[in-house]
Amino acid sequence: MGALAPLLFADGRLPVGAYTYSAGLEPAVAAGLTRDRIPALLRARLHTTAVTEAATAVLALRAGGQDPVDYGPVQRALEARTPAAPLRAASTTLGRGVHRLARRLAPDHPAVRALATAQPRPLRPVALGALGAALSVGEEELAYAVVYDELQTLTSAALKLLPGDPLDSVAWILAAEPDAADAVAAALAVRTPDGIPARTAPLTEQWALDHERSERRLFLA
Amino acid sequence: MTRHDVPTVVTVHRDASGRDAAGELAPGTFLAPRPLLPAADGLHIALVGTTAGLLAGDDLRIRITVGPGSRLHVVEPAGLVAYDHRGGTSAWRAEVEVAEGGELTWESRPFVVSSGASVTRAMDVTLAPGARMLWRDTLVLGRSGERGGRMRATTRAVHDGRELLVEDLDLTDPDVRELPGILGPHRVVGAVTALGADPGGPPHPSRMDLAGPGAQVRLLDTHAPAVERELTGIWESWRAAYDADRTTATAPGAVP
Repeated sequence: MGALAPLLFADGRLPVGAYTYSAGLEPAVAAGLTRDRIPALLRARLHTTAVTEAATAVLALRAGGQDPVDYGPVQRALEARTPAAPLRAASTTLGRGVHRLARRLAPDHPAVRALATAQPRPLRPVALGALGAALSVGEEELAYAVVYDELQTLTSAALKLLPGDPLDSVAWILAAEPDAADAVAAALAVRTPDGIPARTAPLTEQWALDHERSERRLFLA
Repeated sequence: MTRHDVPTVVTVHRDASGRDAAGELAPGTFLAPRPLLPAADGLHIALVGTTAGLLAGDDLRIRITVGPGSRLHVVEPAGLVAYDHRGGTSAWRAEVEVAEGGELTWESRPFVVSSGASVTRAMDVTLAPGARMLWRDTLVLGRSGERGGRMRATTRAVHDGRELLVEDLDLTDPDVRELPGILGPHRVVGAVTALGADPGGPPHPSRMDLAGPGAQVRLLDTHAPAVERELTGIWESWRAAYDADRTTATAPGAVP
């Protein structure tokens, strides 16, 4: 597909509904997180959930290149690593947006067609892997896109939730580079669904449960 | 030379008269299985500590096998402390297998990771269709006033050939585990985990309903007693739900 596809993946303006997602920031702020701790939260996510998501996307990308395409094992592996139901639900909602885009771009690609039969509905990293397969995005490009998107999502949400200098966001993201590189390397090293890292972030899960019960929220999760 | 990795082995099966009987009860390096008073609801076993631990080089291993339709209840009379390993490492590993229609409840006591300890804890559970397990566990980072040592606790539960719950609580690096979203200021992580069946029971603000059959309530705190009290309530409620369900499931004509 050339040079544009990997850029599209990392673009927050991609119409896949990502603006509804704060990558855990809103629940964290509700629990008392302050602006100065945003870099620490980025680091926490790069050590835990971002690795799991990037690895899942890479395995889904590989599955999308097989014949026949079967996302079942990778989808189930991610579910077993996502015990909090609200986080699975948010991922499903976001996956739907990616699926819609994939259908528009490559409706007949086997990697995209297989999404329609995935049961339950594809989680976001699985849909991203499928879209990546349809657009011939490389594994490392995809893993970096997932990780980068996580950082951008969280820092963009910070502009609404903990307003401050937008230039800070850029500096935070670049400062997270070493942890981001480690997350990508860990994701690329995974060979089978049972090898997908499952680094648990207990407070993130608790906050997601609290967020679901909250009546005042801007973001899905 | 004394071996430091002899596994404690407990196997239980349902005998011809329908009672839950111990097959193998083999003491390991650290824990000896002691049968408790006979009860109608299955075999009760206490895992009694026989050697101080954990110290550097220790490898505490437990193997528990529950036969078809059988019930085993494991309790630990005392908690476990991983002491300062002075640069070494230790391990705690449990392998659990529950056959079709079998049930295991395992009520652990706190596992304390002293400053200077470096320990991995691995819980591997294989459940056949219709098998279930209820597990209570608490990790405490540091004795009083300590920041605590390095701990990595993994749980892998497979039910009916599929992964049901996979967790990797990597608390090795204090700077990472204290990040917001991981543990923050907390140093006690306690949980009651139901695997293989929905435990029913009332809602709880920390309850996570798994994608497959099962649920977990995990509590975080800076001190252990509050966590232990609350876990006891959840444990009793979920055990009662399992028991009630068992009564229904084993009623004449019902499919277990």
